[in-house]
Amino acid sequence: MIQKKVCMVGVYGTGKTSLVQRYVHSIFSEKYHSTVGVKIDRKLVQLGNEAVNLLLWDIEGRSSEQDIPASYLRGAHAVFFVADGTRRETYEQLFDLCRHTRSVTGDVPSIVALNKADLQDQWVLAAADTKKLLAGGFRALNTSAKTGEGVEDAFLWLAQTTLEASLVPDSQPKVRHED
Amino acid sequence: MKTESPSRSIRVEAAGLSHAGNVRATNEDHFAIMTIQKSVRLGATNLQDTAILDRMGGPEVHIFVVADGVGGTAGGKLASGVAVRSVVEYLAEAVGCVQDFDLDREQTFIDTLSTAVWRGHKRLKEMFPGQGGAATTLTMVTLVWPRAYIVHAGDSRGYFLRNGVLKQFTQDQTMGDDLVDRGLVTEQQARRAGWYNVLSSEVGGVLLPNVGVIDLAAGDTLLLCTDGLAKYVPEDRIAALLAAGSAEEAARSLIDAALKAGGYDNVTAVVARAS
Repeated sequence: MIQKKVCMVGVYGTGKTSLVQRYVHSIFSEKYHSTVGVKIDRKLVQLGNEAVNLLLWDIEGRSSEQDIPASYLRGAHAVFFVADGTRRETYEQLFDLCRHTRSVTGDVPSIVALNKADLQDQWVLAAADTKKLLAGGFRALNTSAKTGEGVEDAFLWLAQTTLEASLVPDSQPKVRHED
Repeated sequence: MKTESPSRSIRVEAAGLSHAGNVRATNEDHFAIMTIQKSVRLGATNLQDTAILDRMGGPEVHIFVVADGVGGTAGGKLASGVAVRSVVEYLAEAVGCVQDFDLDREQTFIDTLSTAVWRGHKRLKEMFPGQGGAATTLTMVTLVWPRAYIVHAGDSRGYFLRNGVLKQFTQDQTMGDDLVDRGLVTEQQARRAGWYNVLSSEVGGVLLPNVGVIDLAAGDTLLLCTDGLAKYVPEDRIAALLAAGSAEEAARSLIDAALKAGGYDNVTAVVARAS
């Protein structure tokens, strides 16, 4: 079976764990639990004729004390970035987080979830912010781990794109390594 | 119980202790500390560069397990013993015999660890068929330096201490935690109803293990313990005791602290220090 490692990346408290819990277990926790290290969940998805086992690495969020450890990112086939639509700084840090992440994973398929869409009265992001993400080559959509809005769509799109990327033959010509 | 082993430049020193406590007649907790290493060791050579031979020795795998048999069932003591024995037996075969153990195939390794816990679960189900059989918590850390792989079920706990800060890396799996998480009851209501004493995931019962990873650093100290410690000794006290002395001394002082706090439950502590 095809297995794909998907890393959940974002600032602390953006709802990475809640998105995984919603997607894998269809539950939402009202209580905040800070992730320590990495929690690993798996979800089997059927994409056409292919069954793909998504290995969801829910990585502890970036804080002022600690960046995302590169060792957790190694070997990722895809990255699921998460920002909190009610905390502007979590959006602004996305671009730096992306640079940091891609320096480890390379240019793997990725998506940005602007999470907590159920909290519309506290929402601080504008349409221009989403456009900036799209202009930067990101697929971005609003999600809510609480209501489920956009969650299934986001993971499925990422799974599909990751599978397609793995089926594309390597276009890079082989080069001879010279010592 | 105390073990020490050099792992490249990192030394992992581990110790574990268990006590029935001051109230209960039997100790339903069990623990195990195990080290698995490939048997290739360089005796003598006149080769200039022995790095390749060092690598053939493979990584050391340290396994730490604690289990707390669920009281009131057919055999809490038996359950935790069977689960720990079953897990270490399986891992000794599955990991120890794999001569090409390789962290590049990490997911396979993680699956092996989960399978070990499911093997213990299956064995208990076979021994005690039907509802109300024997069950146990189980918290296992498998350390392939610097990565610690965690498989956890129930309300025993895993912590690590870094620069004086204690962090819990397991999440209690009790009905109280579940109901409060879902916003169905308050913490006070859950406590009053005794929901924190009912496990929502356990080996031998309904098993929904959590799996995770933490990368450790030199100087970190790991603690696995049963709720006989975590429920009765505050975390700042645990952090202070964990920081002092050898792994064995730390384990002893943690047990003593739980006994001084009343010793109302069986108590087990496994301490591993990387230096």
